[in-house]
Amino acid sequence: MNHNIPGQHVEEEFRSKAKYLTVFVCLLFAILLLRLTSMQIFKGTYYEGLARNNRMRIVSIPAQRGKILDRNHEILADSRPAYNVMVIPEDIRNISEISKRLARILDRDEKEIAEMIKEAKLRPFRPVYIARDISFTQMAMIENQLYSLPGISIDTSNERDYVSRGLATHVLGFLGEISHKELSAADPDSDYAPGDLIGKTGIELICEEKLRGVKGARAFEVDALGRKMRVVDEQSPISGEDVVLTIDKRLQLIAKQSLGDRAGAVVAIAPSTGEILAMASSPCYDPTVFLSPMTSEAWKQIIDNPMHPLENRAIRGVYSPGSTYKVLMAALALTDGYITTKTRYHCPGKYTLGNTVFKCWRKEGHGSVDLIDAMCVSCDVYFYNLGERIGINRMSSFVRDLGLGRKTGIELKDESAGLVPTVAWKRKRFGQPWHKGESVITAIGQGFTLVTPLQMAKVMSSVVNGGKIMTPRILASTPEHLEGNVKIGEEELDIIKAGLRAVVDEERGTAHVIMDPMFSIGGKTGTAQVAKGYVSKLPDEADIPYKLRDHAWFFGFSPVENPEILVVAILEHGGHGASIAAPIVRDVIKGYYYSKGLTDEQVRQDNQ
Amino acid sequence: MSRYDKITNNIDWGLLATAGAIMIIGLLCLYSAVRVSQISIFFKQIMWIFTGVMIMSIVFAVDYHFHMRSAWPLYILMVFGLMLVLVVGREISGAKRWLSLGPLGLQPSELAKIVIIIWMAYWGERKVQSEGYGLKELMIPALFILIPVGLILAEPDLGTAGIVALIAVIMLLLLGINRPTFVMLSAVFVSILPFAWLSLKDYQRNRILTFLDPSRDPLGSGYHATQSKIAVGSGGLWGKGFLEGTQTQLSFLPEHHTDFIFSVVAEELGFAGSALLILLYMILITKIIQIGLKAKDRFGAMICFGIAGYFVLHVFINISMAMGIFPVVGVPLPFVSYGGSFMFMNLICIGLVLNVSWRRFMF
Repeated sequence: MNHNIPGQHVEEEFRSKAKYLTVFVCLLFAILLLRLTSMQIFKGTYYEGLARNNRMRIVSIPAQRGKILDRNHEILADSRPAYNVMVIPEDIRNISEISKRLARILDRDEKEIAEMIKEAKLRPFRPVYIARDISFTQMAMIENQLYSLPGISIDTSNERDYVSRGLATHVLGFLGEISHKELSAADPDSDYAPGDLIGKTGIELICEEKLRGVKGARAFEVDALGRKMRVVDEQSPISGEDVVLTIDKRLQLIAKQSLGDRAGAVVAIAPSTGEILAMASSPCYDPTVFLSPMTSEAWKQIIDNPMHPLENRAIRGVYSPGSTYKVLMAALALTDGYITTKTRYHCPGKYTLGNTVFKCWRKEGHGSVDLIDAMCVSCDVYFYNLGERIGINRMSSFVRDLGLGRKTGIELKDESAGLVPTVAWKRKRFGQPWHKGESVITAIGQGFTLVTPLQMAKVMSSVVNGGKIMTPRILASTPEHLEGNVKIGEEELDIIKAGLRAVVDEERGTAHVIMDPMFSIGGKTGTAQVAKGYVSKLPDEADIPYKLRDHAWFFGFSPVENPEILVVAILEHGGHGASIAAPIVRDVIKGYYYSKGLTDEQVRQDNQ
Repeated sequence: MSRYDKITNNIDWGLLATAGAIMIIGLLCLYSAVRVSQISIFFKQIMWIFTGVMIMSIVFAVDYHFHMRSAWPLYILMVFGLMLVLVVGREISGAKRWLSLGPLGLQPSELAKIVIIIWMAYWGERKVQSEGYGLKELMIPALFILIPVGLILAEPDLGTAGIVALIAVIMLLLLGINRPTFVMLSAVFVSILPFAWLSLKDYQRNRILTFLDPSRDPLGSGYHATQSKIAVGSGGLWGKGFLEGTQTQLSFLPEHHTDFIFSVVAEELGFAGSALLILLYMILITKIIQIGLKAKDRFGAMICFGIAGYFVLHVFINISMAMGIFPVVGVPLPFVSYGGSFMFMNLICIGLVLNVSWRRFMF
């Protein structure tokens, strides 16, 4: 180094500045010491008194949860007041005495209550619920004895009230106590606390933030025995906002009633906008059972139920599309120019490819059929021909473009993506090459393809509205979204619609039973084979449903000219589509016209 | 005199002893705060101290001119770390402040405090201006300070961002700013305050308003302040005794092992204990300033002054927060609050100061 006296010039430069720094430091520390002296020496006794009598308790006041409304602002899920038994563990001296008294009033196990209090003692100042939503009589009994129940208080909250039990249960979802994981993931600005209810599925989950509101708080003083003396301060909670759905309660009700207690799903959609008008899944469950802490026994019962009542079949159930798939094949064959209206195939009741024989569902065959005939009577042989000609690659890419094989993009969580088989997929999944015969059966909707009822509603919507792919949506606040376009020319669309109309209108049509002189319906039946026939093995063992009978599909739309509503129904193990799924669709469509306030005569005119 | 003696004689043992005494008080109080429910925190803190002392020894062993030459690489590393934490940071209650390195969580914003000190000292070493800096010279440091400050604000971590900015301001004032520039900048600062106020998040604004008027929100952040004040005040002259603090043991304060640990000290050890702790900090900081004055170059001096600023800001803000004369912001107490990254940074600072002190005898 080149300085002779290192540091000297540094010291000169900084001496006065360092003095300022030292003075600054001393000043700050003097403030600290002064404050400390004042607090500890002069006001020590005052604070000591406060500490000894630190008897301020704070409890939060839950906010009223927002309502969930249908498109006409009819209530689907309401909030109602409820009474809960709350304890502040610190104020409980004699656990066994208190538990005994509470157990008698609440008709619960004494030991169980004592356990809960003991556990809560670890965080003595955090209020804990011992019982939620007790009856009015129980509340009155406790209120009466409050004086002999130190540390116990009655706290009001707002419990969910699913106005029409079982209506749109799967869409609305359910609330449950917040888990450790959810609690640690929550925003610091939010006021979640252990024991809070939080949306676990459905709308309750995705709109949690909006519905929840902001908690209030109440500070009160307790006496030395933990009895509530007076309220010191109170902050009112802010109610959650309401959420409006695109669902129409009346259609939802029809869908639910026509499903009855049979396993299945119904989806009604506005094909030109993607709005979901109804979405029902059956069997149902009681959403209120999750509100209070559950025994593992009760939880197991729900989970192990072979009918999977928790599952929203409309978005999570995957099924073979069956003959409804023929509609997509017709659209593909027409737009790609494989066929014209005049193209005819002969159906002798079977189709031979190499050594394999594929049967038409009608043993005696349909004779010579064109596209409209083939759709009307659901001739398998006609579409076997198309399947062999078009090949798996083009079939897959077309239905993928329409929206199969991926989530539809609806706001709800836990959607299934379904499955669109490809050559590469099969090689990866089974290590086997693709067989031509598999293309043939794919064309009639059997084989590997799996779709959810909502996917069915989405792709059929885009076929009947001329190729516009609309993302399905269930929140009124979500803007309309055009995902893409599959070119279906006007001429081709007219042919497809004619075929679909023939299914209902013509006497030989597979769904003629639902013909209604009041309005026009186009549609297509489908029978999803469950385990027999051409496929040796389903894609995944877990997907094999619980019984082996076929599923019944029907999708229908109305008016045929300019579709306003499209309904998809599936009944698990329902046998043939026409007799059982089609009437559900007709009923929902009829309900749609009535709910618009139209009389029979007006509807008839509209559908001319 | 053996070579070993020469090395050890020139180490500032007084500085080390002061820091050690603070750490012992800290460990006692941490034990008291966490022994009931989270005793593992206490053992982790001991582990952090041991690891931190090893890091400190390394920082001490390398000539600090190496640290000076590392100013830019360190600066780039820091900016990278701060950006990384925004992208892949672990989100704990809404703020992204932590990087997960296996079982270890690191806070790049803690690193930023020390890197800014090194970078500013480096800049000051090279940019000598006898009349003090004017506006033009100040552009460069302003830009390079605002980058990390902005990134820390984005996490968001208002307390740390404020500390980094204040350390830089203290260092710039010590390096010298000429009078007209100083007056102008002060005027600008005062005039942008209202805008800064508007850009705060609701909860931050609420905390400040509540600080000014605790009755505004006696249930939320005002509750913490009130309970902390009760803890401090009720300690009295001699305290309630080790492990005897009612406020501490009954867990009135949710964060008493991190930001509110001073209230544990004050409650259990009383005025005697907490005044001793404050005096120890004062000794530590004035010692650091003295070492800075005796440094053999501007870089060494500025490092020490920066570190003195670092400690004084933390100690003052943290303790006055616990005593209810400062808004509740997340600023921990050096050597006492629980936290690995923070403990490392404190010990690195001590390592740097020892380094400057020891090498003033080297030519």
